[in-house]
Amino acid sequence: MTLARSAWTAIVAVAAALIAAQFVPAKRTNPPAQGALAPPPGIEATLRRACYDCHSNETRWPWYSRVAPISWLIVRDVEMARKEINFSEWGSYYPATRRRKLEWMGRALREGKMPPRLYELMHPGARLADADRAALERWVESGLATPSPGKTSE
Amino acid sequence: MKSAIPTLFAAATLLVAFHLFSGRTAAEETNVASIRFADHHFTPQTLTVTAGEPLAVKVINSSNETIEFESFKLNREVAMTPGETITVRLPPLRPGTYDFYDDFHQDVPEGSIIAK
Repeated sequence: MTLARSAWTAIVAVAAALIAAQFVPAKRTNPPAQGALAPPPGIEATLRRACYDCHSNETRWPWYSRVAPISWLIVRDVEMARKEINFSEWGSYYPATRRRKLEWMGRALREGKMPPRLYELMHPGARLADADRAALERWVESGLATPSPGKTSE
Repeated sequence: MKSAIPTLFAAATLLVAFHLFSGRTAAEETNVASIRFADHHFTPQTLTVTAGEPLAVKVINSSNETIEFESFKLNREVAMTPGETITVRLPPLRPGTYDFYDDFHQDVPEGSIIAK
């Protein structure tokens, strides 16, 4: 009976902690865009489904992003991702910054680091087919080859 | 009861042997450079190092901002909270210029590590 009581106490404690955690809010935000990226339609569609939830101000927050502690992790991940690259703020980047972002994008695509595997498992629609990945890489390369600091396009 | 002393002695010997023959010597760790981030810029902005030798760069964030020490050419990107110090270990660099920057603040002047 002692073991059962201990287990019951642990369950109640965890449940209480989870309930208390819901009162620690995680700020889910979608600020206004500051000069959004304007890629070709096909590229835009791929970026939106595979990248925009983390790397833009147009995050589609899922229901579980309202449930602590998962909400804290998701909000933190989106905040960090937006700091790395934010397609909604592309217009506010200096030309040199845009170039750096494109370089890192190219590397992340070539090395298969983006989208993250765990994200792809939870969001199958975000998976990049080989053709999608190749198209994005070509788009990145064309952006790097373009001397103009303007919008990136094929 | 079998004594544990021979086992411990053997383990200690193996550890010492590994340290001696692993190829890492004290000399390889002597190339240490420091970069400090404060007042919205890196100091020094240009770091000259010896090409062909391993390098450890200690980066100190002395500001009250979270920054990201990043270099595409060095393939390193590390977020740093205020007051944090990190050590970026680099393999022997070929002669050349390797830019670094704070990826979280694009108005921070870029720095360079020059290997020659």
